[in-house]
Amino acid sequence: MSAHASDKFVYHEPGLQHQFDDMKQQEESVSIGMWMFLVQEIMFFGGLFTAYLVFRSRYPLAFAEASNHLDAFWGGLNTLVLIVSSLTMALTVYYAQRGNRNMQVIMILLTMFFGTVFLGVKVIEYTDKYNSGLVPVTGWNKKIPETAGTEHAASKDPTFALPLIETRAEAASAADDHKKHPNPKGEFQWNYGTHVVDYGLSKEKETGKPYLTASERIGYFSNGVFDPDKYRDKIRMFYYIYFVMTGLHALHMIVGLGLMSWLLWTAWRGYYSAEYYAPVEMSGLYWHFVDIVWIFLFPLLYLLGRHFLAGH
Amino acid sequence: MQTNSWVPFFPEQASTFAWQVDALYFYLIAISVAFTIPIVAAVFIFGLRYREREKYATPEEMHGSIVLETVWSIIPFVISMTIFLGGAIVYYNQYRPPDDGMNVYVVGKQWMWKIQHEGGQREINELHVPVDTNVKLTMTTEDVLHDFSIPAFRTKADVVPGRYTYLWFNATKPGKYHLFCAEYCGLNHSGMGGYVYVMSKEDFAAWQSGNVSGQTPVEQGRDLFENKLGCASCHAGGPQQRGAKLEGIFNKEIKLVGGSTVVADDAYIRESILNPGAKIVEGYQPIMPTFKGQVTEEQLVALVAYIKSLSGVADTGGQPAAPAATPAATAPANSAPPANR
Amino acid sequence: MQDAGLTNEEIEEKPKLNYLTNGSTLKSWLLTKDHKRIALMYLVSVSAFFFVGGLYAATIRLELLTPATDLLESGTYNKAFTQHGILMIFFFLIPSIPAILGNFLLPIMIGAKDLALPRINLLSLYFYWIGGALTIFALLQGGVDTGWTFYTPYSTTFSNTFVMAVGLGIFINGFSSILTGLNFIVTIHTMRAPGMTWFRLPLFVWANYATSLVMILGTPVVAITVLLLAIERFARVGIFDPAIGGDPILFQHLFWFYSHPAVYIMILPGMGVISELISNFSRKKIFGYEFIAFSSIAIAVFGFLVWGHHMFVSGQSIYAGLVFSFLTMVVAVPSAIKMFNWTATLYKGSIDFSTPMLYAIGFLGLFLIGGLTGLFLGSIGLTVHLTDTYFVVAHFHYVMVGGQVIAYLGGIHYWWPKMTGRMYSEFWGKISAMLVFIGFNLTFFPQFILGYQGMPRRYASYPEELQVLNIFSTAGASVLGVGLLMPVVYLAHSLIYGKKAGDNPWLLPGLEWRTASPPPTENFEKMPVVTWEAYEFGEENGLDVEEARRRDLATVR
Repeated sequence: MSAHASDKFVYHEPGLQHQFDDMKQQEESVSIGMWMFLVQEIMFFGGLFTAYLVFRSRYPLAFAEASNHLDAFWGGLNTLVLIVSSLTMALTVYYAQRGNRNMQVIMILLTMFFGTVFLGVKVIEYTDKYNSGLVPVTGWNKKIPETAGTEHAASKDPTFALPLIETRAEAASAADDHKKHPNPKGEFQWNYGTHVVDYGLSKEKETGKPYLTASERIGYFSNGVFDPDKYRDKIRMFYYIYFVMTGLHALHMIVGLGLMSWLLWTAWRGYYSAEYYAPVEMSGLYWHFVDIVWIFLFPLLYLLGRHFLAGH
Repeated sequence: MQTNSWVPFFPEQASTFAWQVDALYFYLIAISVAFTIPIVAAVFIFGLRYREREKYATPEEMHGSIVLETVWSIIPFVISMTIFLGGAIVYYNQYRPPDDGMNVYVVGKQWMWKIQHEGGQREINELHVPVDTNVKLTMTTEDVLHDFSIPAFRTKADVVPGRYTYLWFNATKPGKYHLFCAEYCGLNHSGMGGYVYVMSKEDFAAWQSGNVSGQTPVEQGRDLFENKLGCASCHAGGPQQRGAKLEGIFNKEIKLVGGSTVVADDAYIRESILNPGAKIVEGYQPIMPTFKGQVTEEQLVALVAYIKSLSGVADTGGQPAAPAATPAATAPANSAPPANR
Repeated sequence: MQDAGLTNEEIEEKPKLNYLTNGSTLKSWLLTKDHKRIALMYLVSVSAFFFVGGLYAATIRLELLTPATDLLESGTYNKAFTQHGILMIFFFLIPSIPAILGNFLLPIMIGAKDLALPRINLLSLYFYWIGGALTIFALLQGGVDTGWTFYTPYSTTFSNTFVMAVGLGIFINGFSSILTGLNFIVTIHTMRAPGMTWFRLPLFVWANYATSLVMILGTPVVAITVLLLAIERFARVGIFDPAIGGDPILFQHLFWFYSHPAVYIMILPGMGVISELISNFSRKKIFGYEFIAFSSIAIAVFGFLVWGHHMFVSGQSIYAGLVFSFLTMVVAVPSAIKMFNWTATLYKGSIDFSTPMLYAIGFLGLFLIGGLTGLFLGSIGLTVHLTDTYFVVAHFHYVMVGGQVIAYLGGIHYWWPKMTGRMYSEFWGKISAMLVFIGFNLTFFPQFILGYQGMPRRYASYPEELQVLNIFSTAGASVLGVGLLMPVVYLAHSLIYGKKAGDNPWLLPGLEWRTASPPPTENFEKMPVVTWEAYEFGEENGLDVEEARRRDLATVR
């Protein structure tokens, strides 16, 4: 119990925290910690994906039709933007390992730029949903007073007397039409007609084989008659899942941008070197993870089922 | 939940698969005892035998034994597989509703059970079923999750909004059994229950027909009196009858064999139906058979009401109402769960 | 000290700073990165939640004294059992052993200065506090009455209580548990002292490792589920309400996917404590070390495959039911292995029946009953009758209270001298251990019988013929309550009046006994190098038996 006094004056490398013996141990710890964090993120999103898959398989037609209103152009653009941002992120790590401060800063700035573009596109998309009455929460849509839509006789009829929509152009014009529908309380609206279900029913007549699933028969029909309200509920469910998933993803992007700002500051100050670049690497892991989530979200939400419009 | 079994605190067995569930239960108890006794004994014996003799003594080192580990991994596995198989067999029997079952439709609602029979009879918080008959319940709910549970039948099933679930049983013993809602459903969850009445097939038929016609208790009583139970063959009145005259007797003093008298009130009429030999009216032979077990409480109420009406007394409701017997009484207003709490 | 010139000796005799005395400002506690201080703050907060939850339990038992709803109205009773469940499960059972004992001891046991991520550790404490504060706030506002399971559509559409606030509280608290698990895994992987190989780790560490796996893989799922529930309630749209085409059964699947493994979050660390106690108080190497270690991992893995056994009567297909029943039976095997190994460890030991060991022996009996009745409930044919009855209530209290709480109390008593440097009253410790054991059995054994008779759980009133056993249960609960309150008194008393414990009061070989009591901030004066296997009691291991005997004699005089 005597001479450990000398222990107090151990040399500490910069960035080495007191609980670790050396940098190797610290980096290993941080790395395992990050991977564990990503594992829990996967489980977190996993619950959402499960919910999505359950209802996609239960109401394929409603989900396909609902997803048709998502603009694959913006979605595709965002996918591209994120893939490029992943590249710049990877380059950030590369230059950090090289100890190249200037390129590091440039790459971080680029990454942040692409991240911001992604969020900007998201804002455009969300605004469109807001204007079209596709936010599933009552009162969170654009409120269109009664008078604005009076020139449309059809719009007063709640029974969805819209014609069968056959083409994409018609869908678009219906969408325009829809924008003029009054929506004084900002409710969720779905006035695009029911062409997908109609298509399914006519297909059933043609082939004599069931086209709709059993849950769809319960889900869309009341006493054997197509029920637009019940159908709209399923569309609304799609948009609910869409907003929760993309919203949580966007939240992760915002956290990522915060991380990038901190990284930018520290990189600018020249914290990172060939010996110490773990924070850059860890932020990179996080950024890539958020990108990968989008790589799953994009096809599931935007692309799956698009052939219902393109096909005929 | 009558505890008239030889095991204290044991629920009554009243369905065809109750004994299977109980057999599995006792098998598991036997296994539990067979595991518990040696382990507890070992802990006690080791505890006494190897009690610390000397502070900080270091006992000889012992290493694990692969053989022992293997043995005590395999034995529990094999035993647990027998339990699994036993459970699977019992479950398989419970799960598959028979094709020839009598259908009953159940709708759960906060906080009552609405039940409809194939014949159109409706009940609330009560279910009348015949004995020795396959009964299949098709169930759903108007609001939240419920669970239709009959402990005496050893069965239950959740009732889920937006879909149908099924339950079947074959009751073996006439009687009155608890019906519970076993899935938490909000404020009055513990009040959402009632009774299942298992009746003999004849009684059930009577109950069923009595219910369909929408009769008042007096009319129902007459129906029972004249047709279903055949009381009229002896008691129809007139001098040549073998049975006592019933007109005008209600609340009157009646002379009995042996000289005593009794007031012919509800209780007396009821007793005379269930236990005719107890108090014989002067001038008649003790030849009437007992109707105990053949008439339900509701039918008794109806019979008493009819006999009262023969004396010009309107049924004032002094007897418990018979909810199942009159359509009016099945309205939700009267459907408060039994006040046994 | 008589001579002012002896400066060297003066330095030597100055009391060394331990983690408790190293900084006394409020800030030095609230912003500490020391795992031991964080553990202590957890201890205080978790105990507070435990006693609030206990008060609810007491009102529940009092209400059930009579068949009628006389003490509480149905609505109040529903809130009482809901809040009892929520506080006990999310704010006591899940954090208790990992966040208190694990946090305190895991780094010391593996010879580390701290957890690998001390700031994350502090963050997890703050998540716990925020989640807890939100929940308490909701309870003060009027509480919640959905049952701790939050089954839809009652929770989303029908209940008009504070479901959202409590849901968010649980969501936030979930991250506390995720971060603790993450921290433990990292720490066990990277922070082991030289020579501390995986198979030299104390079994408590193994158990916490398995627990952490479950925390990381399971908790996020319940977090997102509860979040979806809260959004659904708020926005009146969602995926769980059947009125709009949603599926209440999906909620049950997502909920139990976490909440079944959560049972293992609660019991596995308890099993770890018991392994420590049995081995150390028998002064004997634990029997079948590897089997106990791997059975923990096996339980954690299989625990993820059996969630469907909570839904046997919810309308799932017969095949799903059979598969889940089969897997449930398989989980029984690793638990049985542990049981046999613990018993075998006692054989030819030198058993010291101190208070912690009394708890360990109590655990063996109670967990045995809890585990065996789990077989009743896993057997699908039988569980149709038993599910949602008091049989289930009795079963999980045998596992949770008889298992986890008993192990937790054993652990607290065992490591109390290490944590505080003081010894509690052995006499009162033994008395309270006995009272807890007797009171517990009296409370919950009658409930097995009640359950088989068919008494449904969550009932504010019940048929009169069931009253006798309910009276037994309530009477037992009062004994249990006294038994649980006593440690608060004598442990608090020991803080000031308890005799100094010394570094190694039981002369045990674990690393935590090779540092000061209470330990210094960085745990060891000199970082240890491990050259011995776990649980080796021989003198060659540096345990000076003669010295310890002399010390004991001295204190007796």
